[in-house]
Amino acid sequence: MRFEEVEHTADRALRIHGRNLEELFANAAAGLNSLMVAPASDDADSVAKRIELDAADAEDLLVSWLSELAFWAETESLIFSRYHFAELSPVRLRAVVTGGPVNALQKHVKAVTFHNLAIRREPDGLVVTVVFDV
Amino acid sequence: MVHIRDLRRIDAYLYEIPPSFRTDMRVPARFYADESLLDGVLGDRSLEQLVNTATLPGVVQHVLAMPDMHQGYGFPIGGVVATAMPDGVISPGGVGYDINCGVRLLASHLDAEEIKPHLDDLASALYANCPSGVGRGGAVRLTTGELDQVMEKGARWAVKRGFGSALDLEHTEEGGGLEGADPEKVSARARDRGRDQVGTLGAGNHFIEVDVVDQVADEAVARCLGLFRGQVAVQIHCGSRGLGHQVCTDYVSRFQKVIRKYGIDLPDRELVCAPSSSSEGRDYLAAMKAAANYAFANRQVLAHHIRRSFEQALAGKVKRPELFQIYDIAHNMAKMETHSVAGRDMEVCVHRKGATRAFGPGSDALPAAYRDIGQPVLVPGSMGTCSWVLVGTETSMSQAFGSTCHGAGRIMSRSQAKRSVQGPALRRQLEAGGIRVRAGSMAGLAEEAPAAYKDVDRVVDVVHGAGLARRVARLTPLAVIKG
Repeated sequence: MRFEEVEHTADRALRIHGRNLEELFANAAAGLNSLMVAPASDDADSVAKRIELDAADAEDLLVSWLSELAFWAETESLIFSRYHFAELSPVRLRAVVTGGPVNALQKHVKAVTFHNLAIRREPDGLVVTVVFDV
Repeated sequence: MVHIRDLRRIDAYLYEIPPSFRTDMRVPARFYADESLLDGVLGDRSLEQLVNTATLPGVVQHVLAMPDMHQGYGFPIGGVVATAMPDGVISPGGVGYDINCGVRLLASHLDAEEIKPHLDDLASALYANCPSGVGRGGAVRLTTGELDQVMEKGARWAVKRGFGSALDLEHTEEGGGLEGADPEKVSARARDRGRDQVGTLGAGNHFIEVDVVDQVADEAVARCLGLFRGQVAVQIHCGSRGLGHQVCTDYVSRFQKVIRKYGIDLPDRELVCAPSSSSEGRDYLAAMKAAANYAFANRQVLAHHIRRSFEQALAGKVKRPELFQIYDIAHNMAKMETHSVAGRDMEVCVHRKGATRAFGPGSDALPAAYRDIGQPVLVPGSMGTCSWVLVGTETSMSQAFGSTCHGAGRIMSRSQAKRSVQGPALRRQLEAGGIRVRAGSMAGLAEEAPAAYKDVDRVVDVVHGAGLARRVARLTPLAVIKG
C-alpha cells in the first residue's frame, strides 16, 4: 500500500509509506493526485517541469513538494504522475516531473499542512501522515 | 486524548480543562457545549488541539472553543485564542489557509411567495453568473497594479469599480478594508493564484444560498437590521481563494525556521508563530491583511454578480428585485483588539479560527445603525437546513473576547459522508423539499450533506443560552449554489 486515507472530521489526511525518501515523496505525490482527480491520474506526458526546492528539514521539504504540485494543479490543471529525482536529501530536492493537463479537478486542495507532521522510520521503511486543507 | 473525566463543568454551557491537565499549558482551555453536543466534541481530536493552543507564548486568560468546534489542523475549528500585545505571538496556522473566510448577508424587499414561480430561473442565473468550482477563474482579471489595489483597499476597490455601494461598505466588518495591508509582503506565487479569482466562489463548503426568513426571534432587532418574516435573503460564504491559501502556506513555512530563533517550543508544527512585534510577525500581519482585503473584495464582486442575477431573472416580474446588504463578517482572522483581561484593558491579538467576532452594543467598531443592537452575526447551517442571524452581546465581550460560533460545525468526515450519502440522491431529496440545487460536483455535494454537520439549532441554543450572542432571525433555503 503506497498510501491510505485516515479519517479526519473536516479535511483529508493520508498515511503515506515508502522504502526510502524518494519513494515516500513519489507516493505522497500520487496520494495528492488521488485527492484531486478521479480516476487517480492519466498517463499523459505532454508536460515536463523542473522543480528545485530547499527546506529546513525533510518534513518542510515534503510540504514544499506537495504544495508545488498542488499549485500547478490549481493554476493550470496540471497533474504529474512521473517523478525523476536528480537529487533528494532531507533539505534539498531537484526533480523533473512529467504529466499533463486534466479536464477538471474533482477536489480543490487548498493547502498542505504541517499538522503533527513527522516522517517516522519503521521496520519496512518510512511513514508519514499528511493533513490536507480541502 | 482528552476524556470526560478531565473536564470541569463551569455552568450549563461551559466546560474547562484546567492547566493542570498538561504541564505545558499556560492557561485553562474552555469550550462551550451542552450535553447533546459533548459526545461529538469528545469524538475527535478538537480538545487536544485546543489544549495545544493553550501553550502558545503570550496567551492570556483562557483559550476558547465555540459549540460548533471540530477537529482542524493546529487550532481546532471554532477556536478563539488571544495573546498579549506587543510580544505575544501571532500564528498563521491559527488564522488558517482561507484567510477572512466569511459570510455576507444580502436582503431583498421581496416576499418569498413572489419569487417562487421564478426560482428555477433565479438559481440558474446565479449559477451562470457566479463562477464556482475548483480553481475556476472569474470575469475580472486584474493587472498587477489592480491586484495591489484589491489587497490594499479590499471591498472599497470593488465599490470604486462599480461593484456595489457605500452602504455595502458601511455594513461590512472593518468597512470592507483592513488598514495596514502591505501587498509587498505577499509572494509572487500568491499573486499568481489570486490574479483571476476575484468574484469567484471556489469549491468545498463555500456556497451561495437564496433563503427565506422563516422565524423572527426578536422583532425590534430584526426591524433595525431590515429583516422581516417571509423575506427573501441571500447568503454568500467564501474567502480569499488561492491568494489567501498561499499567504498562509508561505508564512507557515517561513515560521518553521523562526520558532528556533525565538526559542519557541510547540506541540504541533502547524502552530508555528512569532512575536507580533517581531519583523516576521509584522510581515505576516501585513500579508494577512492583504489577503483579508482580497476576501472582502471577492465577496463584494460576488454580491454584484448576485444582484445582476436577481435583475436578470426577476426584472419585470416582481416590483423590487434589488438587494441591500445586512452585514459581512469574517470567521478566519487575527485582529488587534482591546479587551478586559483580569480586570484591566489590554491590547491583544485575537485569533478566530472558525469563529465570528460578536461585539456587543455600543462598540465603536459597529456601523451607527447597529450600534444600539450589537454586531450582526451570521451563522450558516448545513446545506438544506437553516441558518441564523444573531447579534453580539456584552457577555461575549466579557467572556469570549467578543466572539461566538461561525456555523453548524462538521461531525462526520468527508469520506464518511460520501460513503453514507450519494450526491444525486441528496440533490433529489433537497429538490423534493422545494430547494433548488445547482452544483458542479455531485461528490462535493455529498461531502456537504446535512448529516455531516451538527444541528445548527443546538449550536445556536448554546451560544444564546451562554449569552455569547442573541437570536434575531432564522433563514431556510430556497436555492443552493455550490462549486
